[in-house]
Amino acid sequence: MKITVSGEAATVQDGITVAKLIAERDVENPQYVTVTINDDFIHSDDFETKTLSEGDQVEFLYFMGGGR
Amino acid sequence: MAFTNDQLERYSRHIILKEIGVKGQKRLLNGSVLIVGAGGLGSPVAAYLAAAGVGKIGIVDADNVDLSNLQRQIIHTTDDVGKPKVVSAAETMRAINPDVEVKTYHEYLYSGNVMDIVKDYDFVIDGTDNFPAKFLINDACVLTKTAFCHAGVIRFQGQLMTYVPGEGPCYRCVFKDPPPKGAVPTCREAGVIGAMVGVIGSLQAMEAVKYLTGAGELLTGSLLTYDALTNQFRKIKLPKDPDCAVCSDHPTITEPIDYEQAACDFDPKNPLSE
Amino acid sequence: MADINIDQIENRADITDVVCPVTFVKAKVALEELEPGELIAIHMNDGEPVQNVPRSIKEEGHQILKLIDNEDGTYDLIVRRGEDDA
Repeated sequence: MKITVSGEAATVQDGITVAKLIAERDVENPQYVTVTINDDFIHSDDFETKTLSEGDQVEFLYFMGGGR
Repeated sequence: MAFTNDQLERYSRHIILKEIGVKGQKRLLNGSVLIVGAGGLGSPVAAYLAAAGVGKIGIVDADNVDLSNLQRQIIHTTDDVGKPKVVSAAETMRAINPDVEVKTYHEYLYSGNVMDIVKDYDFVIDGTDNFPAKFLINDACVLTKTAFCHAGVIRFQGQLMTYVPGEGPCYRCVFKDPPPKGAVPTCREAGVIGAMVGVIGSLQAMEAVKYLTGAGELLTGSLLTYDALTNQFRKIKLPKDPDCAVCSDHPTITEPIDYEQAACDFDPKNPLSE
Repeated sequence: MADINIDQIENRADITDVVCPVTFVKAKVALEELEPGELIAIHMNDGEPVQNVPRSIKEEGHQILKLIDNEDGTYDLIVRRGEDDA
């Protein structure tokens, strides 16, 4: 199925979970990433069970601590 | 308040803009901004807001200027090495624009002083480089109903968002709690190009100017991300967390918290100000 | 309308003591301090100010009523303040 990840079109396996997508995408520090699907937060406890649907828009939001 | 001819000349490029005009310039001159951190992000913010004629600018930093800062912290010069950063930054700001009142806080921000300092300002800039300070600023701004602009930078990536009380989500809506110390690298471990903090700091200065003048739209409810290597800017929509620990209707955080610093960030004289 | 007497206009701005772009800025500041519909006489020098300032004022949405040549190298521009955008 086709979804959008970080603004770019992606083809993923039907019914993929958020956890699987995070693993496939090689997300840096995966335990600290914030995820939104269609502009709603997904609680990290639900990453293993939450499945994606055709057309979903997924965003990964990362901690950025620098500034000096 | 009538403008002098010198002020008309100094601020002419603002006054000419329809979105700023006389009203906007007066709002800047009557406005106040607190900059936390006189470093990479804080440098362009301090310079641009002083130049813009923001009436009162506060700057917080407990550190002294170090040679390794000068690669990116452009408010300081080689002659300033060893001086308190707030002193060096204030000197540069006053030299840029004597109209501006600069207030310096040569101390670190912590739960005991943050509320008192923040409440005296219209807008706060998070120019810090560690998560405990970022969460402290968020919570203090939410609790005192003060607007602020968060930013973070790592290597070639940066991001920023603006919180306006009663409107958008806060930093904690998105990021919940600081990561365990050392789990996510900050600038010091990761390296950064000076122009990178320049880009993000300049965007923060723009948010402050827009907030004070009322021009345009703020990054409220959005996270703007910048990837310097691919030249990509993205504006990502941010929802509010209805169960946010600090900004929701049923907060569990009602006073600022001092989180523990990463070991490599820890300076006993200055645990939080960076 | 063509017979406005400048002596009847209380609001005045003198932009002969500044140069471009402050000429326009000073005129703009004076106009923004008026209520919509009020008149002002703006005193300006010949040359660049008289060529550019009236045009810029018009672009801001104000109405140019009259340009009086004082025949001493200065002009008086009579302007009616436009409505606020907001």
